[in-house]
Amino acid sequence: MARIACLVVPDLPVAAIRRADPDRAGRALALTDAPGAHVRVVAASAEARALGVRPGRHTAAQARALATDLIVRQRDRAAEDSARRALVDVAASLADRIELAPDGTVCLDAGGAAHLVGSEAGLATALVARAARVGLEARAAVGSSMIVARLAAYHGHGTEVVPPGTARGFLAPLPLACLDPPAAAAETLARWGIRTLGELARLPVEEIATRLGVPGAALVRAARGEDERPLAPQSFAGAVEEAMALEYAIDTVEPLLFALHGLARRAIERIGLAGTGCAELGLALELDDRSRDTRTIPLVAPTRDVKTLLTCLRVALEARPPRAAVVRVVLSAVPARVRATQLGLFTPAGPAPERLATTLARLGVLCDPARVGVPVAVDSHRPGDAGVAPFTLDATAPPAPAGAAACRLVIRSLRPPRPLQVFTERDAPCFVRGTGLGGRVVGLAGPWRVATEWWNDAACARDYYDLELSDGGIYRCFRERRSGDWFVDGAYD
Amino acid sequence: MPFAASTLLDRLGRPGDLRLGLSPRGGHPTLPTGVEALDRMLGGGLPRGRLVELTGRRSTGRTGLACAIAARATRHGEVVGWVDPTDALDPETVMTTGIAPTRVLWVRPRTEHDAPKAAEYLLGAGGFGLVVLDLAEAAPHLRIPWPRLTRAAERTRTTFLVLAPERRAGSYAALGLELSERRAHWSRGPGRPTLLDGVTAALTVARDRLGVPGRRLTVRHACA
Repeated sequence: MARIACLVVPDLPVAAIRRADPDRAGRALALTDAPGAHVRVVAASAEARALGVRPGRHTAAQARALATDLIVRQRDRAAEDSARRALVDVAASLADRIELAPDGTVCLDAGGAAHLVGSEAGLATALVARAARVGLEARAAVGSSMIVARLAAYHGHGTEVVPPGTARGFLAPLPLACLDPPAAAAETLARWGIRTLGELARLPVEEIATRLGVPGAALVRAARGEDERPLAPQSFAGAVEEAMALEYAIDTVEPLLFALHGLARRAIERIGLAGTGCAELGLALELDDRSRDTRTIPLVAPTRDVKTLLTCLRVALEARPPRAAVVRVVLSAVPARVRATQLGLFTPAGPAPERLATTLARLGVLCDPARVGVPVAVDSHRPGDAGVAPFTLDATAPPAPAGAAACRLVIRSLRPPRPLQVFTERDAPCFVRGTGLGGRVVGLAGPWRVATEWWNDAACARDYYDLELSDGGIYRCFRERRSGDWFVDGAYD
Repeated sequence: MPFAASTLLDRLGRPGDLRLGLSPRGGHPTLPTGVEALDRMLGGGLPRGRLVELTGRRSTGRTGLACAIAARATRHGEVVGWVDPTDALDPETVMTTGIAPTRVLWVRPRTEHDAPKAAEYLLGAGGFGLVVLDLAEAAPHLRIPWPRLTRAAERTRTTFLVLAPERRAGSYAALGLELSERRAHWSRGPGRPTLLDGVTAALTVARDRLGVPGRRLTVRHACA
């Protein structure tokens, strides 16, 4: 028999605002859909309702008149979306068949979670606890259908379990209003004296369908705890996104980082539910000139360290500040598995992933990301070519080449090659003069010819020489065959 | 004298033994260079957490020796940072020294003046067995915050190797190695092209805070 768990956050718009701005907790808060004093309040916190504010009835001005310390704000849809997705992440950490309703209710298949939490009561408790970790005060319940679980979540004691076969008894005393019936059906049912779900459930479905239509029949089935359709699982893969609309435009980095700190912390909490880390950050800033500033910040290693992420964000923002004041921020974090902190049992631990990510981010800003990485020999016949690959510390990287260390004479490249003045004697260089070097040739090897890429503009046709000069240096020089000019592109050291 | 008492006295020091200053190199962790004779001379290798200067004129083999040290470190799982302000590293010839390139973080600052900062980042990160600051071709007037860098190296127990034409760190360097008296070797013969075989140079311990300066050995660098 199917068992469904439901996770809900009452007053989701208010909860989303408080999640984004914890300073609003405990304060009387009313939300509107648009700015202005004459727009209607669409949501209010419990503190505001206690002062008499009624959503849908009062305008912002009327609400302020009822409560002088009332905070009136516009709804933050982005924060609500983030809160809904946070609930999904919580559910996904315990189940893999999840459905998200438009009102933010999350239903999940409770059947497969028993081995994780031990019991259905444990599942409900775990859902509420994990929701608290991501900044939401939620309620959970487990029942035999989505409607039973949903009503139990709203009207139970916070972590309710409706045992199999007891659904109708649980639903019976609940008022008709908890099903949110259409106005016409509600009026008719009230005229008939139907006040509770128990009374509604006893009515014959066919007759109700005849009198009240399809909505009426659906109400009767709901009162009996029967779903209209089964759970429809949805897929929620991808980056974790946290968004926030700012109360006022921010044009300096420090306050922006303060806002980003909260977003990063919540994103990391959501990522951490699945045991993964953040491998890449995406930052989308909506500016007050109606433009967008989007940037991607790759990390060397997945991390769950908020300080590391903030350092990378700071480095990115200081390197390229937004061109206008910021009014909305969307931070996305791409999840990936966190690397083990030890490279191997018998090898040194290496840099910690979080510190390495921060260090590489800083080096990227200092030196340009293209100039930081692993040295790579380019597949080219042209001497001196060099490339760079991204630096990653992989625990499964192949072992280093075996053999004794060899003291080799290596080349110190001169990039770009420097022009030389070379005096020759019987076609062999005998004296060389250039920037930072010069002298009589006391040792010579060459020439050996390099001709490559003759088919394109980067064609190279050179005669190379190794020249030992009387200034003490040994250089790799070449003569361009086409122009006859001499250059030095390296020194042996 | 009974064996146990003799052994105990060897460990604690016999009457009349005096030990001044820091404990001998034998008690300090070292980073082996991979060059056996050099490791023997230095008592195991380069001191960890200390600044080491490797100086010498051009073509005396400074870079080759630094690469050999880095190769030994990477082959044993260490991670090496290489700060290259003059973009002088040539990956093709460096690979011939046996370096494991995936363990090397090559950093090329935009200007020479950013090189000390880059070195400070690497030293401060921790986990690097060796950080090389290549000042072999850098401007002589470049200002280096030696106290900050040596403290960072000490804190993270990273061997900080500085390549330079002459000594620049003064008393901040725990060890100073100097390459000199370079001789090039050319292979010649009838019917064969002349090739550069390699160089030999004299390596002198110019300064050693943890041991005895003045020791010498000859290092041979062969061409790949």
